[in-house]
Amino acid sequence: MDQHKFKYIFTHRLNFFFALLIFIFLILLIKIFYLQIIKFENYSTLAKNNSLKILPIPPIRGQILDVNGKILAENKLVYTLEINPKDRPNLNKIKERLTSIVKITKYDLKKYNKNYTERSYSSTLPIKSNLTEIQAAKFIANKYKYPDIYLKHKFSRFYPKGKSGAHFIGYLNRINQKDIEKLKIIDRIESYLGTDHIGKTGIEYFYEDRLHGRPGYKKIEVDVQNNVVRTLDIVEPIHGEDITLNIDYKIQKVAEKAFGEYKGAMVALDPNNGAVLAYVSQPSFDSNLFINGIDEVNWRRLNDSVHKPLINRVVSGIYPPGSTLKPFVALAALENNIRRPPFSIIDKGFYNMPNQSKTFKDWKKGGHGEVDLIKAIAVSCDTFFYGLGVELGIPKLNIVLRRFGFGEKTNIDMPNEKRGLIASDEWKKIKYKKKWYQGETAITAIGQGYTQTTPIQLALATAKLINSNNDLRPRLLKESNTSSHMKSKKIALTSSDDIDLIKKGMSLVTKEGGTAAFIGRSSSYNVSAKTGTAQVFSLKKGEVYDESKLPDELKDHALFIAFAPSENPKLVIAIVVENGGHGGSTAGPIAKKVFDAYLNGIN
Amino acid sequence: MLYMSFQNIDKILMSLVGLLLLIGLITLASASQQNIILMGTQIINILIGMVLLILLSHIDSKRFLFYAPYLYILSLILLLLVAFFGFQSHGAKRWINLLFFNLQPSEIIKITIPLMLAWLYHRFQNDISYKTHMMALFILAIPCVMILKQPDLGTAILILISGWVIIVLAGLSLRVMIFGGFGLLLTLPYLWSMLHLYQQNRILSLIDPTRDPLGTGYHSIQSMIAIGSGGFLGKGWSYGGQTQLSFLPETSTDFIFSVYGEEFGFIGIIGIFIIYFFTLYRCIYMAQKMHNTFSRLITASLVITLFVSTFVNIAMVSGVIPVVGAPLPFISYGGTSMVVSLAMIGIIMSLHSHKSLIAN
Repeated sequence: MDQHKFKYIFTHRLNFFFALLIFIFLILLIKIFYLQIIKFENYSTLAKNNSLKILPIPPIRGQILDVNGKILAENKLVYTLEINPKDRPNLNKIKERLTSIVKITKYDLKKYNKNYTERSYSSTLPIKSNLTEIQAAKFIANKYKYPDIYLKHKFSRFYPKGKSGAHFIGYLNRINQKDIEKLKIIDRIESYLGTDHIGKTGIEYFYEDRLHGRPGYKKIEVDVQNNVVRTLDIVEPIHGEDITLNIDYKIQKVAEKAFGEYKGAMVALDPNNGAVLAYVSQPSFDSNLFINGIDEVNWRRLNDSVHKPLINRVVSGIYPPGSTLKPFVALAALENNIRRPPFSIIDKGFYNMPNQSKTFKDWKKGGHGEVDLIKAIAVSCDTFFYGLGVELGIPKLNIVLRRFGFGEKTNIDMPNEKRGLIASDEWKKIKYKKKWYQGETAITAIGQGYTQTTPIQLALATAKLINSNNDLRPRLLKESNTSSHMKSKKIALTSSDDIDLIKKGMSLVTKEGGTAAFIGRSSSYNVSAKTGTAQVFSLKKGEVYDESKLPDELKDHALFIAFAPSENPKLVIAIVVENGGHGGSTAGPIAKKVFDAYLNGIN
Repeated sequence: MLYMSFQNIDKILMSLVGLLLLIGLITLASASQQNIILMGTQIINILIGMVLLILLSHIDSKRFLFYAPYLYILSLILLLLVAFFGFQSHGAKRWINLLFFNLQPSEIIKITIPLMLAWLYHRFQNDISYKTHMMALFILAIPCVMILKQPDLGTAILILISGWVIIVLAGLSLRVMIFGGFGLLLTLPYLWSMLHLYQQNRILSLIDPTRDPLGTGYHSIQSMIAIGSGGFLGKGWSYGGQTQLSFLPETSTDFIFSVYGEEFGFIGIIGIFIIYFFTLYRCIYMAQKMHNTFSRLITASLVITLFVSTFVNIAMVSGVIPVVGAPLPFISYGGTSMVVSLAMIGIIMSLHSHKSLIAN
């Protein structure tokens, strides 16, 4: 194309754009002429009394139910007195004027001020919540004295179980500025007109979309005094869906009771479909505290506690897996065809690194004697696994760990899930700029070292031993239809013979000589399990671990993974008891009670 | 010295833009109910924008030509950084934290895209073929997809328009445009599936406003009441009852034009439209006067982008199109929009005053 032609085209087309823009100018000007000149009278009257008002009708939030229909979160009708901050109210005067009806406490005023500074979304803010019916009736009778105070009856969220299950149920809180901005981005802000609360954690947060629903609205005409003249149009709201969980509250309660005063987490899964039947994170808190904005004293108490009750330990707590990792390490060995029975070693209670003077001790002084892979799982023989790990190497081990979901989110329907960590050569180089030592390979093979897991990961990995479906994912929500039968992508490479050997080892854990033999002695069904103990701190050289001499917060974490009945597993359990000492003795009994409750039924 | 620094400022264009800035500040004072902090922040925004405008007007257009590809690549890198290291705010990743301020690369690309495309057509100006256009489309597509993924549909579309203007002005044949249009129609289902759910919803409610009667419908009605009740003469500065009684939403940002309409009436709107007309006319005139492909294409693209933003905003507040959420250049409260708009004017001025420096 030559320059002349180019210039010609450019000039003409630019002129065309110019004309186009002028044309749009004119259209806009015509529209504004229509609004300001032709329809002036109309809009002027509309503006004078702004007679048309659109009032949102908020939807009723769905309830949260357990698998048997037991209510975990519901809506209670409550009366509140509210005032409009735009009236610039004198709080002390209002307090005085209301004395004959209800006492406004310092605490109420504090809460009001907190909501006010957080710039809640609604136009009026509560000055007093939870009025009794008598108080409400009294107020209505005297309403003429209080034109600036509004009695509102609305549904307030209520958690009948209080502390129980608080972490997975989650809680609502008043919508704050941050929520508003988030809602704007996902384009759901309009759904919250007339609503003051939004799910902040747990199921309340995760299934907010379904629980919340969509508001309806009322178009009304008002006179100058703001009285409703007539209703022009009503569109009913679409109420939120009720949500049914896989949680069986009976089992949940047994599990929570079994935990007692211990801190930690427990999760129980149905290995066939990933349904979460119980979900414990201890210590817990009362969700009801949060609903109308938690007060400062309670917030400090919960947030600053060294026991961290607000942390959802099942998905956000990360722990070294300890010996509960051994079944998966053993499987990695079998897949690489090393240490397959009848291969065995003679364990004298320690392991010497090849070509090095370094020695690693077994947890049992004097060792376990002749140990093959199955026995190594049953008695949790460290010596066997040190050697196995060094022979296998980290890369081959990690391939198998990844396949079982370690180091990855399980994608359970819960917010704030942590990934955990699979340590490797490359990871250490990036993180610490140090090279990997072979000794670290040895301790990684017994679940110490850098590896970190969440309780939900341990449960899922155990479930995958039984149900080698790659798409298996823990679910709190009960699927309403049968679409959950996903096409099963079997885990590649795992031969069922290999898995059977691992299961054999795990079944011996609860038999005589195993690390959790007491469970087998008292159960009417067979349990397969693996105990674990994770060090909270490292002993200095030459120091000996003596549980009785240690302060509580430095005691080892007790871990436990299990499934039962061994032949046809119906329940998988993973437990972490923080500072609980040895896995078999503190975590095991909790698992036993839950298995009993589920398999034998509760009386 | 002073003379030196202002010699490249086009006095006519600067006066027009200055008038718009003034109108913006006056309206903002009323809309924000004389909020000192808001006003102060806006004045600082304007000052930063003006410094940038003067600096840019000073830069020789040869430099723009030389740096265009580097600037383009740099802005792509910034977009990549957003994808990997950007911090998430309100569910979308659009910002990078640069210690003292937050950078939004998708705004910078509004300038670097026209520069890059103009550079391309300038470079191949003696041999513009369909290959050149294909390259242009490719250059345009990369950042568009990246911004769409952030997700920021509005900016992606605006950038698409600014790039498309250049390609059309560079002589893409009408036949190809028609075929291309059909082609785009065919890929629509695929593009649709790439959009986020909220973007799909937004487009659906553009087509059918009743999908969203409470939110945007309500804003639209209140905005039309405000403008309509202004009448011929307006209610006078700070007397806009709709604004002052806060029936209107977002009066400082997206809906500032309705405040203006309510308080200054049809007379005021004719006034601002006249300023808009002369600003547009001046820019187009400057573009036609320029002596080389590079400058002409950039100027045309920048000015059309500015005015498309302007029209979208005015059409939204006057109820011609549903509410989409777009600021009014030079008038709305907001740092990024202000600085980028003034920078665009600075570039146009530079290209105009250095018009003879690039040999044709």
